[in-house]
Amino acid sequence: MMASFCHFPASPPHQSLSKLLSPLRRPRPHPFLPNVLCIFNPNRNRIRAGSQFRRLSLSSSSIALPPEELDSSSLGDLTRPDFPILHQEVNGFNLVYLDNAATSQKPTAVLKALNKYYESYNSNVHRAIHSLSAEATDEYEQARTKVAAFINASKPKEIVFTRNATEAINLVAYSWGLSNLRSGDEILLTIAEHHSAIVPWQLVAQKTGASLKFVGLTKEEVPDIEQLKELLSVKTKIVVIHHVSNVLGSALPIEDVVAWSHSVGAKVLVDACQSIPHMVVDVQKLDPDFLVASSHKMCGPTGVGFLYGKSELLSAMPPFLGGGEMIADVFQDYSTFAEPPSRFEAGTPAIGEAIGLGAAIDYLMGIGMQRIHDYEKELANYLYLSLLAIPNVRIYGPAPSETVHRASLCSFNVENIHPTDIATILDKQHGVAIRSGHHCAQPLHRSLGISASARASLYFYNNKKEIDVFIRALKDTIDFFISFQ
Amino acid sequence: MSSLSSSLRLFSPKLRQTFPKSPFLPSKPFFFSSPISFQRLPRSPLSEPLRAQQQHQRQQREAEVDLSVLPPRLQEIIALFQTVAEPKAKYQQLLHYGAQLPPLDPRFKTDDHRVRGCVSQVWVRAFRDADDHAAVRFEADSDSALTKGLAALLVFGLSGYPATVVASVPPGFVHLLGLQQSLTPSRNNGFLNMLKLMQQKALQLYSEVGDSEINGVSESKGSNSGAKDGVLDDKNTILGEKTDKTGKDSIFGEVSSANWSGDSLPFGDLMVDGHGMNSADGVQKSSNGGIGGRRERIRQRLERELSPVELEVEDISYQHAGHAGVRGNGDGETHFNLRVVSKEFEGKSLVKRHRLVYDLLQEELQSGLHALSIDAKTPSEA
Repeated sequence: MMASFCHFPASPPHQSLSKLLSPLRRPRPHPFLPNVLCIFNPNRNRIRAGSQFRRLSLSSSSIALPPEELDSSSLGDLTRPDFPILHQEVNGFNLVYLDNAATSQKPTAVLKALNKYYESYNSNVHRAIHSLSAEATDEYEQARTKVAAFINASKPKEIVFTRNATEAINLVAYSWGLSNLRSGDEILLTIAEHHSAIVPWQLVAQKTGASLKFVGLTKEEVPDIEQLKELLSVKTKIVVIHHVSNVLGSALPIEDVVAWSHSVGAKVLVDACQSIPHMVVDVQKLDPDFLVASSHKMCGPTGVGFLYGKSELLSAMPPFLGGGEMIADVFQDYSTFAEPPSRFEAGTPAIGEAIGLGAAIDYLMGIGMQRIHDYEKELANYLYLSLLAIPNVRIYGPAPSETVHRASLCSFNVENIHPTDIATILDKQHGVAIRSGHHCAQPLHRSLGISASARASLYFYNNKKEIDVFIRALKDTIDFFISFQ
Repeated sequence: MSSLSSSLRLFSPKLRQTFPKSPFLPSKPFFFSSPISFQRLPRSPLSEPLRAQQQHQRQQREAEVDLSVLPPRLQEIIALFQTVAEPKAKYQQLLHYGAQLPPLDPRFKTDDHRVRGCVSQVWVRAFRDADDHAAVRFEADSDSALTKGLAALLVFGLSGYPATVVASVPPGFVHLLGLQQSLTPSRNNGFLNMLKLMQQKALQLYSEVGDSEINGVSESKGSNSGAKDGVLDDKNTILGEKTDKTGKDSIFGEVSSANWSGDSLPFGDLMVDGHGMNSADGVQKSSNGGIGGRRERIRQRLERELSPVELEVEDISYQHAGHAGVRGNGDGETHFNLRVVSKEFEGKSLVKRHRLVYDLLQEELQSGLHALSIDAKTPSEA
């Protein structure tokens, strides 16, 4: 009988699972699970809407193992000391922070940069002549250059600093949208978009008479690319699409989507909030018209984010917010406006925070986005596998395989237990921080037929041991509630 | 596990005599009180360290709540929780309470009864006690076991008491339970919003104004975002036609399925005054010529201030004779039907009209007038 994956009698769970996935131990038959490594079957239809709950089942196809050794000094172990906030207790337990899709933690390098700004050269930018201001302006514009380099934009002025990704999307919706959309035009989105990518377009659609069209999910629980192709038409003016889903963990083929969209004359706005912190994102390769991300999800401070826009697009767009900085000349009854990016940066920006974002990018580049991505792939598989092994746990999104790579997050539900209950007891009784709710994706949850889900999301400073703690805690929590049913 | 829960049931409410600041029972009674000997499992890393226990005790000490304003049954529940030392056991006790809550009739699982600000779905219903018309009873349900537990505490602790007593319960009492329940007012605070909704509904029962006339729109301050309404609500369309997705200042017109903000009840303040906690203490005579002639005084006041085209003032106190809120005022003059047609109501919402009338009759409300049923129209509407 297929025993639950984690019930190895003698050895402690974390060791045994790691060893199973270790390349050092090539596939020799395990007493309980003969084809232990052959977990991922891209053909298996695991996902059925509603009440299908998982059993561990094996097939004969196999997956290549990651080349690096999964030994004790993982990227997580190496970087952990940089994050002071992780070293604390909550409710008497060591904090296990697994809510990174909501926001990430900041390394000391970023905290130092923030402090240094306020201690040494805080001054308003772009305005004054004095030395402090010159230095602040330099550092602020340097941060812009760093962001541009991080995503391989062709020029720094294609980066507009905003408050966050949400504001960036609103900027495009109100500035580009209001002047380019009219009655009969279509805005194409997926059902899995974050609210910040849906609501601004609803507001603008109401004003312009355009309409929203939604791409649904396949039975593998990824947005249906074939349906997207079908829904694309000459009426489509913009496609608003996520790169990586904050609930499903799936990634979309942005290059293809952009190519198809451009061929019908539609623009593409990519929501890269969940991709940029975790992988290499190259806007020359992907070729989106707009791309948005938030600093706080990528080890940077809150309060700053950015919009990438192709310069010819930005130059043609009217202002969004009015005020200082974004003007050229101001008269009583009219004003003329600055060139982008200034045109879209009204008022005093979050200077220190933008500089902090620059420091975060330096930190990430110091590790290397590819290395982060590879490490997180291991974590993603380990998390998914471990969760899969727990009875009555239903994970949303696609199953990982050779062709399908999941992000290092899992949204899930446990049969007959509300996700809020799970999250509460995980926190209060185990110090494990996960999220419960709709994750700003109500349409997605509705289409999955649920009102809420729990979500554990990792970043490069987490490690397998923490996943083990989470899994143990989850099982304990499940037992706790089952005993009352 | 089930033996644990049955041990918990042995804790009777009689233990309420003392309110220990620190637990006076050792945390191991369950294991040692039985004739069967138990092998205590080795202390796993998952069990509660001492530091957390101390933290809980500190929280309880910090909670400054005047226990005397709490209804006796709620005090019993608090005492019970305080005898349970380990937080894990407290949560078990909470779940146990929730399991005792009878399921709510599905016809009450509507927006009107839904608690805003819960990620889980929570419904609360208030109704008059069949035997004691001054008393409010509650029913509640939730799809989250912990929230159901909290709801059960409130239902069991608050049912059977007058609306005014219910309305005076300070949210801070929850600190005494040691559950680390946050009381930060936010749109996501399920417990706080649950208590507030129950208090509102209790007061609403005594306002004598029909439910359909109350809408929580124009007077709502700081309303909770309607976005937490429960994702499976059919009223939502993809294009967000939801009319009750209110921000702080937006007004979407009269929505009869009440979008309660959780913050303001149009008649809340007035009703607490009007009922007077002293209904059992006897009559408070008004300074204006004693208890008789209230009808006349109401007439005169309204005629002077509203110059009504039509005015009917009907004393229907006899319909309420015998319930506790009236007992002190056995001579009637506690409940009135008003029908007022006046130009003063033009341009005012229903809520504003009622408030206007209540404002004018403040003195009466503070001297034994219990409740008004108001029909307020403009001359063109009549």
